[in-house]
Order: sequence, then C-alpha cells, then structure tokens
Amino acid sequence: MKILIADDSRVMRQIVVRTLRQAGFGDHDLIEAADGQEAFDMATKDQPDLVISDWNMPGMTGIEVLRQLRAAGNQVKFGFVTSECTPEMKTAAEASGSAFFIVKPFTAERFDEVFAPILG
Amino acid sequence: MSVEVEVDENDLAEMVEQVWESYLDPEGISPLMQTYDENQPSEVHSSVSITGSWTGHVVYASSRAAAQRAAAAFLAMELEEVSEEDISDTLGELANIVGGNVKAMLPPGAQLSLPQVVLAPESSARYPNTERISGVYGLWEGEPVSISMWQSSTDTKEEGA
Repeated sequence: MKILIADDSRVMRQIVVRTLRQAGFGDHDLIEAADGQEAFDMATKDQPDLVISDWNMPGMTGIEVLRQLRAAGNQVKFGFVTSECTPEMKTAAEASGSAFFIVKPFTAERFDEVFAPILG
Repeated sequence: MSVEVEVDENDLAEMVEQVWESYLDPEGISPLMQTYDENQPSEVHSSVSITGSWTGHVVYASSRAAAQRAAAAFLAMELEEVSEEDISDTLGELANIVGGNVKAMLPPGAQLSLPQVVLAPESSARYPNTERISGVYGLWEGEPVSISMWQSSTDTKEEGA
C-alpha cells in the first residue's frame, strides 16, 4: 500500500515513519507532504491508499485537505495525527469522513491498534 | 472576560510524562526530575499561542544540551549528528504537542497558533501583559527543562481598565 504522511514538522514526519516501522508497517510505500496544499496535490496525483495527516498546518489545514478531497470526489482513506483533540475537532473530522484520530504523543501500540484493521 | 483555567501543574506534569514516555525516554530510564524552581536558566525556547476561550502562551524552555538530546531522541540519531535545524524543529514540535494538549483541556473556542522557536533564553522573550499561571520545572539528565503557561491579562482582568 502507498501511505502519504502529511505534517509541516519534519521531525514529526520522521517520528510517524519510525512508529509505523515499529508497529510493523514499514514495508509499505511511504511518501511525505510538508503542508496541506502539498498533501492535497499528492493525494490527488500519487493516489495513495491511506493519508495520515496533521491538523494544524500552514496554508491549508488537514481538515481542509480532507474536505477538498471529498468535494473533488476523492474517497482515499484519511485520518488525523494531531496534538489537538477537542470533541468539536473529532466531530468535524468524522463528519468529513475521517477514518481515525490519533493524538500526539502516540505510541507504536496505538498505531498498531488503529492501522492493523486498515493495513492488515 | 474572565475564564477559569483548569490546566494546573499536575495536568502539565502528566502531559510532560506522556511526551517523555513516547519520545524522549521510551525506556523509562531518564525522566524529567522536577525541581519546582521557576527561575532555572534556559538557553533556547519555543512557544505556541492560544487565543479565544483562553488567551496566552505555552512555553517550552531548556538548555541547549537538553534540546540537542531531545532532537537526537526525536530523530533517532547520535547527539553529534544533530543539526541546528533538527534542534529548531524538535523544539517547535515539543511546544506544539504540549500546546495542543493544553488547548484540548480548555473551554471550546480556542485556537492554537503554529509554534515559534527562538534559539535564545526564555528570559530574552517578553509576553506583554501576561502572567505565568503554572509550570513544570525540572532537570533531564542534569539539564534544565521547563514547560510553563502564560495567561494574557485581558483574560484575568476583573474590572475595566
């Protein structure tokens, strides 16, 4: 599977990649986007099977990326890894078609719990 | 408008513990040892601003050595491989993680800014019209690290100016 990791923080993208490996999902094709616009463009052009996105990014936020993808008819499996986890954000994410919501700081166990059903 | 702030030292300490467990000390061998000394020195710091239902700043400050060690842990590299950019990125992410968790505990309607990083002591920064309302101050392998919350006085004002 192709997995797109979108986060404006380079260190957090690296931590997500490392945690995916630790959770046993390192053999997937991992690609990275450094902001929301890039995430939208790559989700459209590179056709990943899964998008793991930060919420708070400059330019376009993660929820805006998800909404624009859905508005364009793109049904890629999409979810959030974010340090913010308010009930209204979770509600907005679910209403827009988000598949998961992971709160930073996270562990490999949490990744396994969320991604095992998705990645097999 | 006056807002009850329900994020206290214990909440901050719990967040700090989660960050250490997840990223900085996954083996559980070098936790942040609290000193309760709010005047301990720093050499670098990062912050996020929160506006809305509560207005203020969350500040992460440490020695340069502690920031370098944090970057090495975040990036799974050796201390001597850590670059200036690695330190900046790591400090920004630490402020973002703690700030995001703080925001989640506040009343609805708060906005979180993107992090700011300053490779200079926390004492070199000024947060106008704010007061420090809580903080966790400690030593990580002997190096100072602190996480503090600064509330804007426009939130605490009881009477019109």
